[in-house]
Amino acid sequence: MSNYHQIESDDRADDGNNLEFRSFLGNDSTTEPAPGRGYLRDQPTQSSFWNIEYYQPYFDVDTNTVLKRCYYTMVPNVDYLTNHLSPSPDLYGPFWTLSTMAFSLFVFSSLASSIASYLSSEPFDFDFKLLSIAVSLCYAYGLGLPLALWLALRYLGVTDWSLVEAIAIFGYGQFIWIPVSLLCVIPVPILRWALCGIAFGLSGWFLVANVYPILQTAEAKATRLIAIVIFVLHAALALTLKIQFFSYYVIEPIGGSDPITGPSPTGTSRF
Amino acid sequence: MAATTPISSASHFIQADDDDDIEEDAIPSMIYPGGGAPVTPLSASTPNAGNPLSSAKGKARAAPSPLNPAVSGNIGSSSASQAANGVNPNRRWLGNVQIETRYTGVDTLDEPVTATLASILLFVLYAIDIVLYPRRSGEARQVLRDYDLWGPLMLCLGLAVMLSINAPPNQSLPIFSSVVVLISLGSVIVTLQTQLLGGRVSFLQAICVIGYCIAPLDIAALVAFFFKLIYIRVPVCLLCWAWCVWAAVNFFDGTKIETNRILLAVYPLLLFYFILAWMILIQ
Repeated sequence: MSNYHQIESDDRADDGNNLEFRSFLGNDSTTEPAPGRGYLRDQPTQSSFWNIEYYQPYFDVDTNTVLKRCYYTMVPNVDYLTNHLSPSPDLYGPFWTLSTMAFSLFVFSSLASSIASYLSSEPFDFDFKLLSIAVSLCYAYGLGLPLALWLALRYLGVTDWSLVEAIAIFGYGQFIWIPVSLLCVIPVPILRWALCGIAFGLSGWFLVANVYPILQTAEAKATRLIAIVIFVLHAALALTLKIQFFSYYVIEPIGGSDPITGPSPTGTSRF
Repeated sequence: MAATTPISSASHFIQADDDDDIEEDAIPSMIYPGGGAPVTPLSASTPNAGNPLSSAKGKARAAPSPLNPAVSGNIGSSSASQAANGVNPNRRWLGNVQIETRYTGVDTLDEPVTATLASILLFVLYAIDIVLYPRRSGEARQVLRDYDLWGPLMLCLGLAVMLSINAPPNQSLPIFSSVVVLISLGSVIVTLQTQLLGGRVSFLQAICVIGYCIAPLDIAALVAFFFKLIYIRVPVCLLCWAWCVWAAVNFFDGTKIETNRILLAVYPLLLFYFILAWMILIQ
């Protein structure tokens, strides 16, 4: 089976004499229609789910837009979705709001606990598990809960609510926790409770006010009870944040010793 | 198989990229099940191609290069003879894999392991130097075009080891794992969102650069390893954090992001390096 056939000469091969490596990375800028906008295309194209171009419309925002959207989550006004998430919601703001929230919880709670240990002159032993707790809590609440809610609403027949809108509402809605976690460094317990309460009230009101109109569009009236579920979950989040991150856990650890990381009394090695 | 001699110990095998406009069928196969001598341009022009030395001689005649005689080896001669026939001489099929042979001028297959490790280490040090003192000449970007992940891996593991040694015993494992996970996932996420914002950057190259930019934080961790005083740690950590961000931004400023979203692209870098600096600070 000698299926060998000669090919015509092409102009790619005439650099064979000089053994230089040619780079094809930089010289495609002439064919690009709008080089100032990087990879962004002006006309939206149909891309598959696994391509990065599929997600680029959700990241097509400017700095001012993101800052404005973050700011207006703290101002109680109805209809955030049509007033501020127009023309289209983005995913940049929710994702980095949640990331910033997780890391600011970690940073400021460790700062607060080190201040506490400094004031009480006890040895400071930082608990790095707080970082993973903060990250998983924030992403589960800000990304997992809207996903679950969106799936549930689709199951119940509400179709005019996109997943991106749900994530944008829940992600931007947690923005208030970032300044609150900064202010909670101040070691006054009653001030911390007050700040957590304010944050809980504002963000909870924001969530319910923006999700309830969607729930109203469902056919069954019982769907509106989901608002209560959201409210309860949000109260649980606020309480968790207050107890996990804004308590002086250096002085009195909460909940006894951890069975996983503590030195085992029987002498068996962990790993 | 006399015609396949250019694959020698002096050749590197690189899997050929398939994104060019040469059709795969158009590349002649070097494997002939029939066993007969194929009428390829290679065997036609170099009759005794079974001997690399003689074929190298034939090439040296075709492409004399007095500066570096090694370069005028197998590839040079065969390409000189084949270029006229329009065949890419460096490509062939080995089994089912299309490979490209290139001779880099150094024999890395026969060298001792220590020499390989030393060359990797030297390259890593050179790349760190390039990243931390960005030159305006564009030479830096050229060097970083052959990205490697050895350097970022070393820097990441170094930081994680330094942080976990300093930690109390029941914390060292979570610290190590969280630092490694944070650096690897964080650099992937930062790179992805730079691309999503429209930045013109290649994926692994950006991961390589972000990884190399951790180097100042390694210095900070080393300093914090020996000095426990808060008055020393805070300025050192802040300085190294600023250095990291400056070096990373210096690389990313060529990615053609629109000016009104530069802050959006820089902010994740700030956050990423700040968390690492903070972990060094409070260890």
